[in-house]
Amino acid sequence: MTSASSGLRVERLAKSFGGVHVFEDLSIEVPPARVTACIGPNGAGKTTLINIICGVLRADRGQVLLDGRPLDGIQPHETVARGIGRTFQDVRILPLLTALENVLVAIPSQRGERLRDLFLPWRGVGAEEQRNRERALALLEAVGLAPVAARPAGELPFGQQKLLALVRLVATGARTLLLDEPATGIEAELHPRIVTLIRRLVRDEGKAVLVVEHNMDVVREVADHVAVLHGTVIASGPADTVLKDERVIREYLGRLYA
Amino acid sequence: MLFLATLICVWIILSVAANLVVGYTGLMSMGHAGYLGVGAYTAAVANIFLGVNYLLTIPLAAVVTAAVAVVTVIPLLRLGTFYFALATLGLNFVLFDIFLNVGPRVEGTEGLFGIVLPAGLETTGARFALTLLVTAACVGIAWRLVTAPLGRVLRSVRDREDALRALGKNPRGYQIAIWGVSGALTGVAGALYAVTLFYIDPTLFTLNTSILVLVYIGVGGLASIAGSILGPLLLIAFTESFRFLGVHSSLAGPIQQGIYGLLLIGLMIYRRQGLIGKYDFRE
Amino acid sequence: MTLLQVLLIGLGLAGYYALVAIGFGLIFATVKVFHIAHGTVFLAGGYVFFIFHRLLDFPIVWSGLAGVLVASALGLAIDKAIYLPVLRRGGGLFSVFIASLGIALVFDSLFLVWTKGIASVARVGNLQILEAGRIVVRLIDLWSIVAVAVICGALYLWLHRTGTGLRVRALTDNEPLAAVVGVDIGRTRNAIFLVASALAGIAGVFTAYDTGITPETGLRVLFIGVVAVTLGGIRNLLLGTIVGSLSLGILTAYAGFLFPTWVTLSIFLMMILLLLFRPQGIFG
Repeated sequence: MTSASSGLRVERLAKSFGGVHVFEDLSIEVPPARVTACIGPNGAGKTTLINIICGVLRADRGQVLLDGRPLDGIQPHETVARGIGRTFQDVRILPLLTALENVLVAIPSQRGERLRDLFLPWRGVGAEEQRNRERALALLEAVGLAPVAARPAGELPFGQQKLLALVRLVATGARTLLLDEPATGIEAELHPRIVTLIRRLVRDEGKAVLVVEHNMDVVREVADHVAVLHGTVIASGPADTVLKDERVIREYLGRLYA
Repeated sequence: MLFLATLICVWIILSVAANLVVGYTGLMSMGHAGYLGVGAYTAAVANIFLGVNYLLTIPLAAVVTAAVAVVTVIPLLRLGTFYFALATLGLNFVLFDIFLNVGPRVEGTEGLFGIVLPAGLETTGARFALTLLVTAACVGIAWRLVTAPLGRVLRSVRDREDALRALGKNPRGYQIAIWGVSGALTGVAGALYAVTLFYIDPTLFTLNTSILVLVYIGVGGLASIAGSILGPLLLIAFTESFRFLGVHSSLAGPIQQGIYGLLLIGLMIYRRQGLIGKYDFRE
Repeated sequence: MTLLQVLLIGLGLAGYYALVAIGFGLIFATVKVFHIAHGTVFLAGGYVFFIFHRLLDFPIVWSGLAGVLVASALGLAIDKAIYLPVLRRGGGLFSVFIASLGIALVFDSLFLVWTKGIASVARVGNLQILEAGRIVVRLIDLWSIVAVAVICGALYLWLHRTGTGLRVRALTDNEPLAAVVGVDIGRTRNAIFLVASALAGIAGVFTAYDTGITPETGLRVLFIGVVAVTLGGIRNLLLGTIVGSLSLGILTAYAGFLFPTWVTLSIFLMMILLLLFRPQGIFG
């Protein structure tokens, strides 16, 4: 696979709701081993972009390509099998399950989830579950959530819930991660853990990461490449360049961080 | 006394079956009595008219009821929680009318009786032993299901379907599977019910019965296997005590109903998860 | 019985269904409560009417009024004493539904106990009939059609010409928005329950006069009302429910004539099919 055709690519995407144009001619590349940040004002359609990639919404025009092949008509529950995973702005962890269970339920292809295998003792359901538990616990430890592993996730503070959502996404094993505001709304003390985790995923595991974010500090720390979305992609390039671009600062950064 | 114990066991199986779909998976079934009827009639018809050995009618009822359950639930799964419940309620009435109009019956009566028991099961003691065994097996199966990873997935289906989809798992499949399991267990309960009562007629499988099951698991505890045992045990014992207190039998029914109504109201205001349940539904 | 006769019976039935259905739909569309106990309110109206007229010998009109008043009060009391506490303590609309079921069970059991001692069917009326050619029309059916028409007219005026009515319609569309804009949800909610319960009470009084009521009647009429509302849709509540009730009244009359033992199945099968394929109803 050449680098040009691997990873996620969005080509000339257009979407409007009713008469409202959210964006058009939107093209973004999310190649492996790189953090691509997508910034832009509220309502610019950043979450809509993620929803379209994951099949929750259909684009009016344009296409989404994974490793060179179009993702037409994909259903939301099929994305993980294709190697794409996402987080939600409003987190959506399972409140009545413990933090550990939240991560466990994200691990794909478990024999213990299949009716048939549950009642055939030679299928090794117990052993697999044990292995999964250890793995899930390790993932939680890596972000400092091990102490709360046995607490119902609904009782955790918002910041920890967001971190948990990120961890469970990692547990799915997806190669391409779409993170919807992973740092927004959480305390500054937790930012380093998120940044470290994302960097590790990209540098050590070569994952392709798209980060939609408002928090410019986190973007500055984590992004390799930035695309600015406002009606269409008004600027795109290496993080240093784009974030210092006059126009971008004036139009967007200025408004937020006057 | 043994008769009562046998009956309690049947209700335990039914309660466990209902809790699997209601408490663990969030599928509010208001018509489970209809499936109970399918199981009971399947067993009775197979035995009386087709000469099938009673012991074989139990798995037969399980299979047939599971099939009916799965077929009837698939079109309903796209309805929202509320309308789903309403549709299952409607389904109960539909099945009831079918039992009423088409259900086989012994000439000149309203119902069906005459199940032939295999040798060794003629005594109430033997039947209780069989029922107890089957109940233990059913409870064991359900327990295995909910403590396994499958239980986790079911609870995720219940709590946040969309999040589960985003994790790559399709809630639909799990909903259908657990509904089928619940149907199978309910069918078993139906077969045992037919023999315990020796006589079945459509009035046993009305909305009242479906609500009764919901009260049992609502009181005992949602999303709890132990709660599904506690509920029927407590409540049936409680209503039986009325007889000992000498309450007139024509009053006993309404009083029981009234108390169950009060229980439902109290539960909804003060303790939606039931006595030892783990699911306080905020829907 | 000619088909036309059956049609007339159907229209007569439709009148009562319509009143119950409109009340139910009013509550469901605005505060989203599935008020099963609405059937209980209906029965309360009828039983109070029966008690006052048959047992206490009050004149008919006063007895009917008593029935309606008690029904209205009961409906409001149920909301305040049960539904609101459930909602305040974290329960959702589904919990309210189950609580409503509980209420229906409690009252149903009370009615059962009471009717065993007093009257199995509470029936008040002596029916008079008119004959026109070969069609026999019952006076009560004419009265009920007139009464229902008048009530619907009054309802329309209330909904479209009064302040409260406007607030009620605002709730149908968007409660959070209505609250923000300053609609007093509390008072409007009370008005809704009062009016809806009064309608059910009137229907209960009429039915007690006409065919008599038993504890089962409540749930049956309620569910027919539910199907009528589903059929008509809640977008255009008055029109939809009336059309739905009419259709259902006629359908039930014919079904009762052609295949009486399958009527319940037909009604509920229709409800399920509606939910699956046209949940917004005819006018949705």
